[in-house]
Amino acid sequence: MAVPVSQMYTVAKYVLTQKIRGVRRYPLVLMIEPLFRCNLACAGCGKIQYPDHVLDKRLTPEQCWAAADECGAPMVSIPGGEPLIHPEMPEIIRGLVARKKYVYLCTNAILLERKLDEYTPSKYLTLSIHMDGLQEEHDLAVCRDGVYDVAVKAIRAALKRGFRVTTNTTLFDDANPKRVRAFFDEMMKLGVEGMMISPGYSYQKAPDQKNFLKRNRTRDLFARILSDRKRTWRFNQSPLFLEFLMGRREYQCTPWGNPTYNIFGWQKPCYLLQEGYVRTFQELLNATNWEDYGVGRNDKCADCMVHCGYEASAVEDTFGSWSGFGRTVKATLMPGHLAR
Amino acid sequence: MTDSTYHTPEGGALEGRLFRPATSAEQVEVVEQAFDYRGDVTLELTSGEKVEGYVFNRETGDEPFLQIYPKERSGLRTIRYADLAAIAFTGKDTASGKSWEAWVAKKESQRRAEAEHAAAEARARGHL
Repeated sequence: MAVPVSQMYTVAKYVLTQKIRGVRRYPLVLMIEPLFRCNLACAGCGKIQYPDHVLDKRLTPEQCWAAADECGAPMVSIPGGEPLIHPEMPEIIRGLVARKKYVYLCTNAILLERKLDEYTPSKYLTLSIHMDGLQEEHDLAVCRDGVYDVAVKAIRAALKRGFRVTTNTTLFDDANPKRVRAFFDEMMKLGVEGMMISPGYSYQKAPDQKNFLKRNRTRDLFARILSDRKRTWRFNQSPLFLEFLMGRREYQCTPWGNPTYNIFGWQKPCYLLQEGYVRTFQELLNATNWEDYGVGRNDKCADCMVHCGYEASAVEDTFGSWSGFGRTVKATLMPGHLAR
Repeated sequence: MTDSTYHTPEGGALEGRLFRPATSAEQVEVVEQAFDYRGDVTLELTSGEKVEGYVFNRETGDEPFLQIYPKERSGLRTIRYADLAAIAFTGKDTASGKSWEAWVAKKESQRRAEAEHAAAEARARGHL
């Protein structure tokens, strides 16, 4: 089991509470981007292309905590930029853990080993290491040689100290299924708690508009990767989301499931599209025309199958009915098999 | 709309161009371009004041406004469309020339040089 029982219980209790209260739109994972500055310059990344004075801006710990309090999601993901660059990141994490948020600190791990002393292992803190494949693929993706080896070394060090460690992998259209499967084997051998995978998306403002996956190619790629999957592979995400990636079920996007807060404010409408910003989470919920987004509703969403839009849809499916719950159990117990 | 170039634009890119909208529709259009632009712009206000910075938000309601992070001071500034006279794309477009295709198409030596340059910048900031 990749996700600890306490975390599953917390999320299940939270979702069921929302349902009992009749809340139609609720956040599942708050995405906090505390800065956009990164120590890598990956080609195609739409998150780091800003003038220097913008890259120098950072959220304060108080802003991060206030966002978590206001949003109320049980899980907080901290991507960036590279969060470990933020000098107050340990304080930010301590505050979120004190609030009993399950925090995923997303990092390329270049600074991780050096900074491990600043963090305390906790069931609430997961180090989510960006790994885009085996050495050749990863170093190519991040446009720098040697990063894979640094990350592997940092993962070992973090595991040795008792941290929860997962990997997060974005797969592009040139991914080789055999190599990806071999990569999964390597990560499991390393001893990570679980893996998170997602297809890429062409950011509206990203320079890389052609290298991301189209919908059918996404399904085909993930079906080839995840069919007959090994029992040793553990994924730190909804089994129904994996079924969705494989083309075995259809979901509509749940863009409010992973709301994004950064130095500009609350991002409309989702983590991927930047259509504007508002000051409060409630304003985001109220002021966004959610019906304008999703497959069949918006050209920008046509090819998107990214986790930040569909993982929440899968979780909603799980808790939406007994049959959804049954599908989840089946997909968990028989991964890679068709769960109807 | 007046569209004059006072730097050499790259292949029709916005960088280096100045827009002086003549109608509110043109104003909306050029603010949208500024919002999408990944570099600094310089706003010329009807008062004659100039504000250089990054436009990160705009709202086209009854009283349309944009929000900008000025380059030379902290905090954001909100400016009404009604107070805008011109927008110049004065800053470097930070997304330009950084596509995956461009990266792959470059010679190995060029890629290596760019990677080393990026690493050196990160090292200089203490981020490596």
